[in-house]
Order: sequence, then C-alpha cells, then structure tokens
Amino acid sequence: MQVVRLWGATAARLGLAVVFAVAGWSKVTDLAGSGRAVNAYQLLPFSLAKVVGAGLPFVELMLAALLLLGLATRFAAAVAGALLVVYIAAIASVWARGLSIDCGCFGVGGNLAPGQHPNYFWDIARDVGLLAVAVFLLLTPRTVLSVDNYVLGEA
Amino acid sequence: MSSRVKVKQANRMVREQLARERRRRRTIIVSIVAAAALVVAGLVGWAIYANQAPPASFATPAHASKDGTGIVVSTGTATVDFYQDFLCPICKQFESQASSTLDSMVAQKKIALVYHPIAILDDRTNPSGYSTRAAAAAACAADGNKFPEYFRALYDKQPAEGSAGLSNDQLVQIGVGVGLTDNTFAQCVTSQKYANWVAHNTDTAAGKNIQGTPTVLVNGKQIQNTVNALQQAVG
Repeated sequence: MQVVRLWGATAARLGLAVVFAVAGWSKVTDLAGSGRAVNAYQLLPFSLAKVVGAGLPFVELMLAALLLLGLATRFAAAVAGALLVVYIAAIASVWARGLSIDCGCFGVGGNLAPGQHPNYFWDIARDVGLLAVAVFLLLTPRTVLSVDNYVLGEA
Repeated sequence: MSSRVKVKQANRMVREQLARERRRRRTIIVSIVAAAALVVAGLVGWAIYANQAPPASFATPAHASKDGTGIVVSTGTATVDFYQDFLCPICKQFESQASSTLDSMVAQKKIALVYHPIAILDDRTNPSGYSTRAAAAAACAADGNKFPEYFRALYDKQPAEGSAGLSNDQLVQIGVGVGLTDNTFAQCVTSQKYANWVAHNTDTAAGKNIQGTPTVLVNGKQIQNTVNALQQAVG
C-alpha cells in the first residue's frame, strides 16, 4: 500500500510537470499573444492582463521544473492546485457570461471566429482532473526520485 | 518492561522528534526558495515582454485613420471598421463574400471604410511572423496609394496556416502585380518599416476587446460577419 502511494504520487508529480511544461512552453514564444489571451477573458483591465499574460508562462515553466525535480513538492502541488482553481473559475466565468473565446490554456487564445464553438466543458473537466491530481500530491508529497529526499532528510 | 528498554524508547522518540523538526524547518526554507523562484520567473517574463513591446513612437502609413490604427479607403456616412489578419482564412472568406457589396457601398459614398490590419496569428506560420509582415507590407501599399488592390491580391495569394507564409520577396512581387513597381515600396516591405505600427494596432484592438478576426464594426457596433448583417447595419 505504501509503495503504491509512493509511486502514485511520483506519477502525479511528473504528470503535472509535463502538463505545466507544455502549457508554459506553448505560450512563452508569443508573450503579447498570451497577454491578449488573458485579456479575452475580460476579467482584468488590459494593462494588467498583459502583465499576467507575460508572467504566467514563465511561472508555469518554473513550476514544471520544481515538480520535475521534486523540489518543495508539497508547496509546488499547492501552487499547481491554486493555479488550476483560478483557471477553472476563469473559464466558468467566461462560460457564464456567454463569451466565445479559446481558453488559451495551451497557446492560441483570443475570440473564436463565428462557427467555432468553445469547449468550456472539456476545458473545465480537464482542469478538475488535474486539480484532483494536484490535491493528491499535496496530501502525499513523498515521491521517489525527488530532490526533496536529499534536501529534507529523513522523516 | 525494564528501565533500559524504556530509556532506549524515550531516546528514539526524542531523535524522531528532532528529525521531524529538522524536516519541517527545511521544508519551510525550501518552500520559501521555491516561492521566490516562481516570483522571479514571473518577473523575468514581464521584463522580457516589456523589452519586446513596441516602442511608443513608430511610423504611421499614409491614409491612416484619425486614431492611426487603420487605413481609410473611402468616405461616407456610415463608418465600417474591418479588423483583419492576412493569414486568417475566415477573413479571406468574408472578404470574398462581401467585396462586391463593399465596393458598391464605397462607390455610392455610403460608407467610410477603414481596414485595420492586425497580427494575431503570427504564431501560426513557421517561421512565425507572417501576419505582421503581410500587414506591414499592406501599409507600404497604402503609402503607394494601392492599399485596396494590394489587400485583395494578398488574400488571393493567402498562404495556409502552418506554412512558412509568403517571403518578403513574394510580398514585393505581389505589389509589382498591382502596380507598386518603385523601389520605395520594395524597400518599405523588406525593411518592415511598419511592423511596429502593426504591433500597435494589434495592441490597441485587444485593448478594445477585439481579439478575433474578422471583426467588423458598423458605426462602432460589432456585426455578424455576413453580407446581410452588413447591409442591414449600413442601411
């Protein structure tokens, strides 16, 4: 049982690392576009959306690095969970307001052309699934192949 | 239980307690370091973006609209603002469906038609940046008084998303095809004279929540991208 948890948590850690790495990387090549994608949610004034849009891809990449290394795993899991809660809330709010945008989760973003339909349900379902993974890791942050094992010492 | 065993047990408990303490302390320190790393990463992103952001001063082409973000091609009572990206297939579709209607509205002086070339699909060519290059080239065509002709020619020869887009030489050649034969145009295109103008337009449009293309406004109000909606709105 202990072993299953250990490896399960390890898989959760690395899985989240990959998702955040892909999400961050897809946006980092077009920071202006990332700012526009944030602005499309119409939750922040444009000037603030630009700051968030430029910073977020780098935060996601750094988070992916922490998870990949297994450094400050519990803290990283908490940040991942918090980000996902924000993403879910933002997509839900867009959905509730009837806006038609691309979530910009993995690049692109912006308004959808007429005839294109948003996938809010699946975006949210995916993020809720990832949130569950992050919460699991938050509760069982001990994993194999992690820097924490060396840095934090014996439990 | 002998007292020796009790002492051993007590010692172990103390050791474990100390190890837990140590682990807790280290966890807090490592977490603080991790938090700092995340904050620094975010600031780095912001700094990079701030560096890339278009300069406040940039060249504006001829025939620019009053706010400087569009090319005015006609005068008339109703204002039609057409936000488009030269890589966007639906822009091409709308342009081909609406062009004859727009032409006759322009001829009858019913509309002040303003094109706003913006670049939101720069990421969709490889190498990236065709949207910006094409829009900047169109601004050069405005300088040469051939914007509408060049605009149509660009949509006629629209490259596919995911392709390399048209080269600067090809953009020059398309200009030659509509009569922009002088060297000024070619130089304007190859030097990307109006790239910052395009970045400014894109930014300004996003600030007005225009993030998709095509976006058509009639007297400032967005309409459906159909010829019917256009005719109804213009009246």
